[in-house]
Amino acid sequence: MDMVLEADRLGKRYGSTWALRDCSLHVPAGRIAALVGPNGAGKSTLLHLAVGLLKPDAGAIRVFGRSPYGDTEGLADIGFVAQDTPLYRDFTAAELVIAGGKLNRRWDGALARTRLAQLGIPPDRPVGKLSGGQRAQVALALALAKQPRLLLLDEPVASLDPLARREFLQSLMGSVADSGTTVLLSSHLLADLERVCDYLIVLNAAQVQLAGTVDDLVAGHRQLVGPRHDGGAIGGVAAVVRASHTDRQSTLLVQTDGPITDPAWAVREIGLEDVVLAYLADGVTQTSHSEWGVPA
Amino acid sequence: MIWLTWRQHRKQAFFTLLGFAALAALMVPIGLSMRHSFADLGLADCARQLADTNVAAATRDTCDAGFRRFTNRYGSLNLVAVLLLTLPVLVGLFWGAPLVAREVEHGTHRFVWTQGVGRTRWALVKFGLVGSAVVVLAVGYGLGMSWWVEPLTQAAHEGRLGMVVFDLQGVVPIGYTLFAVALGVFAGTVWKRMLPAMGITLAGFIGVRAAVEVLARPHYQPARTQTFPIEGDGPLEVSRGDWILTQGVRNPDGTMIAEDTRIQCPPGGKGPDGRACGAELGIEPGAYNWQLYQPADRFWLFQGIETGIFVALALLLLYLAVRRVRRIA
Repeated sequence: MDMVLEADRLGKRYGSTWALRDCSLHVPAGRIAALVGPNGAGKSTLLHLAVGLLKPDAGAIRVFGRSPYGDTEGLADIGFVAQDTPLYRDFTAAELVIAGGKLNRRWDGALARTRLAQLGIPPDRPVGKLSGGQRAQVALALALAKQPRLLLLDEPVASLDPLARREFLQSLMGSVADSGTTVLLSSHLLADLERVCDYLIVLNAAQVQLAGTVDDLVAGHRQLVGPRHDGGAIGGVAAVVRASHTDRQSTLLVQTDGPITDPAWAVREIGLEDVVLAYLADGVTQTSHSEWGVPA
Repeated sequence: MIWLTWRQHRKQAFFTLLGFAALAALMVPIGLSMRHSFADLGLADCARQLADTNVAAATRDTCDAGFRRFTNRYGSLNLVAVLLLTLPVLVGLFWGAPLVAREVEHGTHRFVWTQGVGRTRWALVKFGLVGSAVVVLAVGYGLGMSWWVEPLTQAAHEGRLGMVVFDLQGVVPIGYTLFAVALGVFAGTVWKRMLPAMGITLAGFIGVRAAVEVLARPHYQPARTQTFPIEGDGPLEVSRGDWILTQGVRNPDGTMIAEDTRIQCPPGGKGPDGRACGAELGIEPGAYNWQLYQPADRFWLFQGIETGIFVALALLLLYLAVRRVRRIA
């Protein structure tokens, strides 16, 4: 399978804090990949590394086989929409399309204009005066006009209301479906992206917790309910992701590597959201009692 | 890139030009009337004649009177000249500091640096275009101020090398303005917010300018010394246009007995207490007035050296700024 983006033990440090550490993952070509994790998990850092805004402090990241930092030619293949869709707020949408044409060798201005016209975006108003949803659409149109092979979107729907979210994602899907563009989009809410993505990367506390196609992830996890579990091996279970116990009963979320035949356990299928939450809940919250001067 | 730079800064450019036009509209009439009075008082001739060392005492008297009248009338404009000294740093604050800091503050660097133009090229084109525009502005400012301040300078004893007027005219404004802009750009790449960048630019500019002016400029060339006798009965003999660094009265063995002053005694003159003139200072026979100075004809040399220093600093800062731009995310 063709890999569009590969990270190998990738790390990025701000001062003494690692924003991303030992991060190994890949995004296969043609996927709509969701990058999910709580705030501060390192999602933006990963995307900035992928678009060459940041230089890795450890490991390597490759996009289409090239190292993106300082690689101007590679930029032509990557469309990027940063968090909060920053655009020159005093430019009109039409001027931004012109600017994009001046800044890129490969540029389909007609595509951007057609898109924006279909969405009813006024061409002659400063984009700072447009609604958040409209501005996000302008940013997306500009990224698509580059005709990128990889589209990176950093929290594209975070600031949008539910209706605008749906419209944005629908229009995104509509435009990448035909072109075969690989998309990597981040969000702190899986619910935002669940409907559109077919590949999932879960990032938490600077590390990759989970990565794979949505189908595999759903098929590879089960919830088991049975008698209180003492940690012994269960046939068909590769790893216990999360366990909760009462006096007599245990509920386990497990990763499977075969059929679970033990009749003591009731096996249930679970949804993607539960899988993700189980992995995220794994992250340890570091307490800061001493900084606050309160007793632990 | 050029289109983008123009589109981004055209409003600012318009207001800058408007500001300069307003300033010119104010200063040109003042300058014209000043030059008119200068000619009416016959001071242009005076300036030429006084440049000679041996001038008839009568000419000197009439000329000094004329200069005094002129200074009484227009001397307060020297304060205006001091205000105009701030123009280069204003350009640095409003053109230099926001150039990178504003992009980062608004997050638009993530938009523009991820298009097909690399950020090094972005930085070079932007710095280059803004730098050129600023140089044009500074040339206009330097020429205009040279014209405007000329009569005031000629009327003042210290001439063009004097502290404020030297900084206003000739080519040094180009150096100052480029330096201010480069400092602003660099501060913006380090602090990445407009207000701190502007604050640092202001503080840094004042600091460097003051340091160069006070510590370095007097030593661009070895200063010369000159002595004048203490006894004399004419008007005080002065060297017009020279930049006097220190002066004082020295005894024949070279010891300084009175700093920052000059004295003159009529031949055989006595103080009110009957002692010889200057006795209260401890003057011994053969004492003389002494001064350390930079001669007036070094004006262009000094202008060149000072401009060179600031242009070199500006280029260094711009180089560092381009390097820092590559690290901002």
